[in-house]
Amino acid sequence: MAEKKKSESAGRRSEDQQALDRLKGLGKGMVTEVDGGSTPTFETPLRGKSNILFDTDGYLKLGDKTETRKFMNLGQARTFMQTISVANKLKQFIREDLHTSIRGLYYQLKFSLGDDLDESLFEEQSESNVLVEDLEVALGAKREDFHLTTDRKGVLAGNIKLVDKFGGEEVTIDGTKQGRSGWMIPSDVDNGMEIESLNANYVLVVEKDALWQRLNEDRFWQKEKAILITPKGQSSRGTRRMIRKLADRGLPIYVFTDCDAWGWYIYWTLKTGSMNLAYLGKEFSIPNSRFIGVTMSDIERYTTTKCFRELCLV
Amino acid sequence: MDPNQPSIPANSDIGTQRDTHKDFKEHSVAEFFKKNKHMLGFSGKTRSLTTIIHEYVTNSLDACDEHGILPNIKVEIIEIGEEKYRIVVSDNGPGMPKNIIGKALGKMLAGTKFHRYMQQRGQQGIGATGCTMYAQITTGQPFHVLSAHNGKMLSCDIKVNLKTNEPDMVIIGEQEASYHGLTVEAEFGDVKFDKSSYGVLEYLKKTAIANPHAQIELVAPGNEYYKFSRSIEIAPKKPKEVKPHPLGISVYDLQAMAHSSKEPKLSGFLVDSFSRFSPQKISELKEIIDVDFSKSPKELSWEDSEKLVKAIQKLKWIAPPLDSVIPIGKDQIEKSMKNILDPEFINVVERDIKIYSGGIPFAVEVGIGFGGKINEQKGEIYRYANRTPLMFDASGCAIANAIKEIEWKRYNIDMETDPAVIFVNISSVHIPYVGAGKQAISDIEEVQQEIKNAIMEAARGIKISLGRKRKVGDMEKKKTALLRYISRLSEDLANLAETGSKDDIQKKLTKIIETKYMTNMVGEEEAKPESSGAGEGEENGGEKEE
Repeated sequence: MAEKKKSESAGRRSEDQQALDRLKGLGKGMVTEVDGGSTPTFETPLRGKSNILFDTDGYLKLGDKTETRKFMNLGQARTFMQTISVANKLKQFIREDLHTSIRGLYYQLKFSLGDDLDESLFEEQSESNVLVEDLEVALGAKREDFHLTTDRKGVLAGNIKLVDKFGGEEVTIDGTKQGRSGWMIPSDVDNGMEIESLNANYVLVVEKDALWQRLNEDRFWQKEKAILITPKGQSSRGTRRMIRKLADRGLPIYVFTDCDAWGWYIYWTLKTGSMNLAYLGKEFSIPNSRFIGVTMSDIERYTTTKCFRELCLV
Repeated sequence: MDPNQPSIPANSDIGTQRDTHKDFKEHSVAEFFKKNKHMLGFSGKTRSLTTIIHEYVTNSLDACDEHGILPNIKVEIIEIGEEKYRIVVSDNGPGMPKNIIGKALGKMLAGTKFHRYMQQRGQQGIGATGCTMYAQITTGQPFHVLSAHNGKMLSCDIKVNLKTNEPDMVIIGEQEASYHGLTVEAEFGDVKFDKSSYGVLEYLKKTAIANPHAQIELVAPGNEYYKFSRSIEIAPKKPKEVKPHPLGISVYDLQAMAHSSKEPKLSGFLVDSFSRFSPQKISELKEIIDVDFSKSPKELSWEDSEKLVKAIQKLKWIAPPLDSVIPIGKDQIEKSMKNILDPEFINVVERDIKIYSGGIPFAVEVGIGFGGKINEQKGEIYRYANRTPLMFDASGCAIANAIKEIEWKRYNIDMETDPAVIFVNISSVHIPYVGAGKQAISDIEEVQQEIKNAIMEAARGIKISLGRKRKVGDMEKKKTALLRYISRLSEDLANLAETGSKDDIQKKLTKIIETKYMTNMVGEEEAKPESSGAGEGEENGGEKEE
């Protein structure tokens, strides 16, 4: 990692300062426990099915069940140590204002515990991945807040302007000037990214990239005054946050997917969130989003119409 | 059946075979023995040698015990030819008076034990003479005896007259002696020394375990020296002399006893030789069997002997006294197992005296040793009757049966793979042996069940020890596992919290871990139910040697 240290706290974004404080608080609590002669503990909400609720708010979220891990419990000792290592590493990323993926994090922590020990801090990435989730849940933050990047996949076009503060620079992104490829939605649209202007009546999310390209070519977003987005299949975290931000601005969200199980699943994940990310359901779900497209009953109802038959022949 | 039978040495001065055919009536017990020596343990070369050593060591131990002497026994085996050995067994016992030596070592069924019933190791009075005879028929050489008794040291040679069952004794010398003890020396052919589980070394080791008050040395061929040192300094209680109880007698023993009796009538022999045998009982017997009680006991046939034993079982008898049973003692067994086997865990169980066949008292003692210096990767069974190891015929033995019946899994012991020794001793004036070879305990239900119960009780203790060991091991493992993580954790924690130093946190964490696992281990120790014998077991050794 490059030596790119910035002056402490000066010019640090408030989001970063908040994440730093949470991590530091976690450590302080444990040191206090150790000073008091007891085992350090780590409390985190349970993420298992038994603690996932779907309630009247219309999205999946975690219940109140928590688990307290103790370093002195042999079954949890290794995980405990690993959790603190991850937390400390994340703190370092934020301080130095650097970003990496969860895979990058794993590689930075994959080293031996000591010359005389035949054991590494991490043996497999699956070990560190869950700990990132643990910390997200326990500290009420997203991994993006800890400078962890995720896959970018979604693409956007439409009448929207965003300011991206990144790498020490500010760039303005114009959603109408992204040509045939559109603007690739980054993994984090919350930290250092703001909507400068927005001029649209609704958001159309189309499952398939091919369709998006078709509609983009037709400048559909201009004709319809819409934001045209494709997640290219299942939505990435960044795409979901982007759509949610637009929904928070009052835009109706229409999700156009195939009329099959996969299509419905894509729609429902956007709408209600997923079991895996139930702990982030509040920030990721869009309960008001609506499905648009052909349904099973449409087939029965409209097969006799000329229009429908022509459509089906397309 | 017996490969040695036709090979009577040419130079033997006993009667020729034709002589014995001529006069069938003079067919002595010795002659009978010669033809049936396999019955007495002389079958197989290794086994024959073990039998010989057994006879002398047993006699020495019994003699010492009777006189309250702590035995020192030395066995020397010198190879002098192919399957030919000189054997010297010496002890520090009382020695033997001149007038008895001949009979004791050269006349069948004339031992000191035969007419005096008490709980002793040897019980048939046939063994020592059998050895004399075996030496004689395999090498033609007499037995050499040195007996230091009552201030006199006697040196003599002894042979058995196979025809008359009378000893031929040649006195070589006599002198003053300030010590006591007996040394027998003889050459044997058709025997073999090896270190198999039936061999002499194994036999002596097992003997030493059951006789913690004895010191036993062995000089094996090739000048290999072994010593089994004394585990306790107290001689066992002297056995009480009792007449045999009718319920404990076997057909073979009854016939043998009858044949050596001097009573003119069978009825007199029975009343005189057995406890609780009154003339009233004779008349009761007369009512149920057709045996002539007025004829000489010397003429008691096998059939009549069999009838008598069966009929005796049908009558009611007053039980023999319980104090005739003398077990080795829990503490004693524990010490000798520790001394000789040195296992990691020992659990010894001494059970109360029980009764079999409606009146014969017996006691079972079991010791289980596990791990430590026992490195045989399989469960071994050490069978004993009155402290004497039973080396052969394990398959039909009640002890082996009982062990087979036990579900060892329940005790976390695997008899196929675990380093365990199961020591089982049965004490009784009448050990229910199988056959005249006296190498197996008969599978009488009460006896076998009692053995099984005793072994299971002992196994429970071992199970607890094993469980505790695994727990303590787990504790240690846990502690180590935690300690290996604290360096990393302390460093990260100090950095994360931005308070405290790595060293400080590490010191405190170490202390927390050590306190936690120390407390638990101490708790484990306190919960220990005991097993290392706090010596509360009854004191068995009465008098100390002067």
